[in-house]
Formats: sequence, C-alpha cells, structure tokens
Amino acid sequence: MKNHGGHPGLIASLFREQGSLIAGLSLLIALLGFPLAGLAQDAASASAAVAYRDIPQVGGSRNIIWVVAQQHLLLAGFVLGVPIFAWVCEIVGWKSGEKRYDKLAKEFTKLLTSAYATTALFGGILLFLLIGFYPKLMTYLTDIFFPSFVVYCALFLLETVTLYLYWYGWEAMQGGGMKVLHLFLGFLLNVFAFFIMIVPNSWATFQASPVVIAEGSALARAWAATWNPTWWPVNIHRLIANVVLGGFICGAYAGIRYLSATTAEERDHYDWMGYVGNFIGVFGMLPLPFAGYWLMREIYQYNQQMGITLMGGFLSWLFILQAVLIGALFLGANYYFWLGITHRIEGAEAKYRKPIMAMLVILLLCLGVWMTPHSLVASLEEARKMGGTHHPLLGVFGVMSAKMTVVNLMILVTFMSFVIYWRAGKEETATWAKVAKAVMGGVLGLAAIVVIILGVWGYFVPAIVRINYFSVAQVLIVLFVMLTITPLTALLLRSAKTTTEMVWGRMPPRAGYALVMNAVMVILLMTLMGYARSSSRVHWHVYGVMRDSSQYAYSPALGYAAVFMSLNTFVFCLLVSFIFWVATMGDKGKSAEVSGKGKMPAGAVPAMAGGSQKLDGK
Amino acid sequence: MSEVVLLQVIGLCVVGLGVVILLFIQARFLRVVGFVIIVLGIFALIALGVPQMASLPPAEEKFDVASIKTATDMAAIGQKIFFSKGQCALCHSIGPSESARCPDLKGIGAKLTREFIYESLTQPQAYIYLDFRHEGPPKEYPAKMPQINKNPIGLSNNEILSVIAFLQQMSGEPITVSPSEITQPAGQPQKVAALIPIVHGQ
Repeated sequence: MKNHGGHPGLIASLFREQGSLIAGLSLLIALLGFPLAGLAQDAASASAAVAYRDIPQVGGSRNIIWVVAQQHLLLAGFVLGVPIFAWVCEIVGWKSGEKRYDKLAKEFTKLLTSAYATTALFGGILLFLLIGFYPKLMTYLTDIFFPSFVVYCALFLLETVTLYLYWYGWEAMQGGGMKVLHLFLGFLLNVFAFFIMIVPNSWATFQASPVVIAEGSALARAWAATWNPTWWPVNIHRLIANVVLGGFICGAYAGIRYLSATTAEERDHYDWMGYVGNFIGVFGMLPLPFAGYWLMREIYQYNQQMGITLMGGFLSWLFILQAVLIGALFLGANYYFWLGITHRIEGAEAKYRKPIMAMLVILLLCLGVWMTPHSLVASLEEARKMGGTHHPLLGVFGVMSAKMTVVNLMILVTFMSFVIYWRAGKEETATWAKVAKAVMGGVLGLAAIVVIILGVWGYFVPAIVRINYFSVAQVLIVLFVMLTITPLTALLLRSAKTTTEMVWGRMPPRAGYALVMNAVMVILLMTLMGYARSSSRVHWHVYGVMRDSSQYAYSPALGYAAVFMSLNTFVFCLLVSFIFWVATMGDKGKSAEVSGKGKMPAGAVPAMAGGSQKLDGK
Repeated sequence: MSEVVLLQVIGLCVVGLGVVILLFIQARFLRVVGFVIIVLGIFALIALGVPQMASLPPAEEKFDVASIKTATDMAAIGQKIFFSKGQCALCHSIGPSESARCPDLKGIGAKLTREFIYESLTQPQAYIYLDFRHEGPPKEYPAKMPQINKNPIGLSNNEILSVIAFLQQMSGEPITVSPSEITQPAGQPQKVAALIPIVHGQ
C-alpha cells in the first residue's frame, strides 16, 4: 500500500515494518520458550527443590499470571476470530461482487499482523512467567505434552507464513483464479488457526479433566492426555466464542468510528460495518449456549463434584452474574437491531413498534427469571419467614428447568429480531409467500409453546430425565426453528421486491454505544468463565493428580475476582484500541488529503459526541 | 474497612469518574472510555453485592492418636471431615433439603452396616442399584459417587472410619468403629482387616 500524507504516513509505514519485526521477534521468543520448557525437564532435579516462585511486591505470582494469561487468551480469541470474520466477508464480497465486503475483510486482516505480534508477545511473557513461577507444574506438563509443543511450534510457523501471504498478497491476488487462491489462503489461515487454538486447549482442559496413562510411548501419553473428556466441548465452545468476539469487536470499532465520523461517507461506511459486526456476533451468539450446555454436561459426566462446585457450590452465584452479562448482551444486540429497523428503514417504526415492544417485554421477563438465584441472600429472620433460603414464589424460577426455558425463549426472540430486520423494507412476490409465512409463524409459535411446556413439565420429572431428555429437546427445537426459518426466509427474499431502501448513516449515537457495550459484555463474559473454569479445579493444578500446595491454593470470592475481570477487560480494550489506532494511522493520513467533499456541517459533529440532538432525531 | 467495602468504594469512584467524563468531556474516544468504565464499575459493584465465598483448600484433620480416647472423639473428627475435606455436604444433606442433589443421609448409619458404608465410600460401583422409573425391565443405575479414598478427595483410612463413626452417631446408632482401629503413625501397619469390602451381586 502506498502512503500519503507525509509524517503520519511515514510513522504508519514504520509501524507496519516494525509490526512484522515485532511479530517475528515475539514468535522467536515464544518458540525459544518451548525448548526452554524442555530443558526444564532435564533440570528436574534442580527444579524439584523449588515448586513455586513468587513476587509478592507486585501483587503475587497468581495475580500476575491471571492478568497476563487473560490478556493472552483474549488477544488469541481476537486473532483467531478475526480471520474467520474476514474470510467470510471476503467470500461474501467475492460471490456478491460488492466491493465493500472485500474492503471490510482487508481492513480487518490489516489488524491481524499487529494483533498477532501482540498475542505472541503475551504468549512469550506468559510462558516465561509460568516456567518461573510454577517450575514443578511446568516440568510435569512438559513431560506429558512435549510432542504437542513441537506440533504447536510447527503450526505457528505455518500460520505466520500463511498470514503474510494472505495479507501482503491481497492486492496482487484480486483477479480471476488468483482470487480463488487468495480465498484458499484464507481458508488455510483459519484451518491452522483452529489447530493453534485446540492444541493449547488440550493443556488447559487436561488440568481440569486429566487422563494420565503410565505406559506407552511419549506420543501415546500425550495423545491420551490431549483427548481428555472436556477437550472437544471446550474447542467448539471457544471456536464459536471467538467468532462472537471477533464480530462484536468489529462492531465496537465501527461504533467508535461512527461516533467520531466527520463525513457522510464515513458515517455510511461505519454504520454498515457496525451492522455486519453485530450480525456476525449475534449469529455466533445464538448457538453458543448450546455449546456451553454440552460442556457442562461433559463436566458432570467426568466428575459430578466438579459440576456441582460450578453450578451448586461456591461458584453458583457466578451464574447469576453470567445471566446478567448475557442478558445485557441479548438486550444490547436486540436493541441495535431495533434501532436499525426504526432508523435505517423509512416507515418501519410504525409497522414494527408493537412487535418490538412485545419482544422487549419477553426479553425482560426472561432475564428476570434467569437472574433469579436458587438461594436468596436473606437474613436469619427473613429466612425464617420464608421457611428457608428459597422464596416461596420466586424460588420456582431459581431452578434449572426455568432457566433453560427462558434462555431458549431469549434465543428465539433474538432470532426473530434478526428475521424482522432481514425482511423489513421488502415485499415478498413469490406465489407461495403466504404459505411460507404461515409455516414460519406456525413453527415459531409452536416451538415457543413446546419449549415452555417442556420447561414446566421439567419440574415434575427426575433430574436425570430433565437433563438428558427435556433440556436436549428444548435445544433441538430451537435449532430446528433456526435451521427451518433461515433458509426459508432466504428463499423468500430472493424474489422479493425492495419497497424501502435501507439508508445507512442515520443511526443515533446511542447505537454506537450499544455496539461498544456488546463488545464489553462479551469480553467480561470470557473473563468470568475463565475464572469459573480455573476455580472449578479448586485446590488442584491438575485435578486429582497434582495438588496446588502454594499459598495461593484458593479461589478468591466473586467480588474480588470481578475487580480483576473488570481490570482485565479494560486493559484488553486499551490494547485493542492501540492496535486499531496503529493499524489505521496510514488511513488517517490518506483521508486528510481527501477533499472536504461530503464533510458534515461543523455544527453536526458534536451530535455524535452526544452534545446535540439535531441528528438524533433524523 | 473490610476488603469488600473498600472495593465497593473503589467501584463507586470508578463509576463516578465515568459519569464525570461523560458530563464534561467532549472528546469522542474519551467519552467511550468513560462509558466503558461505567459499565465495568457497575459490573464489579453487582459482583460485590452477591454473597462472597472464597474456596479454601480443605484443612487437614490431624490424627493425634493419643488424644482419641473414645468412639465419640472419632465421630467429632468425622463430622468435621464430612463438612470440609470429605466434601460430602456438597451433594448430600442430613435431613430433607431442596438443594441436595444426592441421597439424604439422615439415619443412614441405622440403615446400612459399617461394611456397606465403607464399601459405598471406597467402591461406589460395587453395588449397582436398579432404576424402575420407566416401563420395561429395570436399568442399571450406577452411583455418581466418587471413590472417596482416591484423589481429588483422597480421604485416608482413618478419616473414612471417622466419617462412618459420625454417620452412625447422627443416626442414633451405637458407634461400631473403635479407636483401636486408627492407624498408628507412619511405618506401622494399618488395621483394616475388619473392613474387607463385601462385593454384592446385582
């Protein structure tokens, strides 16, 4: 890419070059770290004397690891989620011929080089700290997983080469067969990224659900440890979560750029980008609870105690916080859809006001049920009056049957928001349109009724029946609705007539803030569930195999942990902002040269900062 | 000032800072930062408002053989283990409970022999129950109970005997475990001959 604009362009160019250099150096550091881990094995006799090291002056080893590991994991989620996002956008652009999708894909791939370097940097720091703080544990893990360390290094090399080809070859591979080759590179990038994700997942899941075999070759032992009971549930859960993270971060970026936009062209572009980001985030979010449900089932199957520690033990209140965060995310994502319907499509507000109100009421009711705790925080006197810690009326909503039901209903409502948005401003012309709409309405209504019936029935059957049959049936029903209505709507809209064009760039500032909030909610959720996963091991480094005998062999209470989660989220947001800022420096230099054409009136600018209502009313 | 109160004050200050930024600063990026810290501060305050429970590693019960004179002494230790290291109360209750996920253990010491309790703790699958809650022939209904003498709980033989003593005592039964069965300090053989598990048929 050619630089414009003198100084900023030069800085951008330097950063780009240094970005590659930093990426290379960081990778080198990370890769060198693994042989060091191997050497640690040879020095077992020396490290056996030191099980733990600590730096209490700067918060203690556990807290330092907490922050660094969380940053690495969030960055890794971003770096693995963005290529999926970019590749899908590139395919859409290629198939539809709409250049803006290709531009969007390129814009996000540009972030990857600097984000990749930062991720590797944190990975390297994390590795050194782990070797330093937990020599005994790392020796043990190295002994088991050394073959997979080698595989991990090889994958990193392949991913790096592919990323460079994908990014630097973007312009050169635009025409004909070369574009197909570029898309194939994007596919390869995602394949390597997937394996880069699942290899370390095996180390982390091994700690929670270890499979240790004494006999066999090093490879056989590593393979047995890798294929542990929670490995695949976590792989799938993280894969989907990374797509969600990538989508919502793209949305947040677009939201901030939209708020700062100074030209109508910028407003159009970032409004559209926010829509795409939110769409992909929601698209990933809908199946995510199912993956989470599968993971919890596997945990219960592996060790009931661990399951109960999570869901019914000291971590039970964590799931109320999870409900708050996911509920806010559902509300935020739906709110953004509704704003889109009412602001981007002329005349849609009057048509959809009632359905939107109905969906809002359902969402709030469902959220209320989901947030109802199983046991209430009550004084002794209050508990006596209630006849226990369970409220006589609200206690009914505190159990799993109610929660599973409302989660499924919230997914259905969100899916409906998406379908309404999709169909708004279009008139179906197919002869079978009426039948199709009746079928879709019937499927949706029937599904909601069956989900509720199963939820109520769930109170009267043994837990094992509810968990194994009713909950699974609810999940399958909702999946069926999505898999039926999505293709049917797509078919229906193929021949539809557009009655009202969607107008971009007219969203109020609160839409930008909604996008930012969605991203913050997803990041907080990842930090929260990271704490849950780690705490479920209680006082074990490797559950039931290697006990944590350090002074930090306890899980802190939720309040203290939440402060760390907030801190980690804030630091990650700053890091991502920095990455975006660095990566888009060159663009700003370019846009400074562009003429003032399309620039908004000076008085309108503060509106995006929330100062004027003039544009909000549009 | 407790740690929770201190963190709540910090959380309120963070939210306040966010509000000040939104009220007085026009720079767009800083306004977004202000909004984000309000959201994060509110989240932390909500988390600080729920019951604060830390998960501490289980305390090791010291077996001072010389201090254990009677079976009641053993039952007292067993009670502590039941609610701490043994993690029994995580799943079981003593008396009806809405939150208990596994069988109520009230009176269990009167229903089962000490040998059967010992076997249930150390070999939970030795006796497979049958599930009749459906039509047709009953299905096997294996217990989800972990082997209590293995990790991650890993109770010692002395600790298991103490838990049995507690279960018998709280069921109003005479304690059949004797202090003489307590294993002597390391190096001396364990006296577990009286507790050979009985494997039941289905």
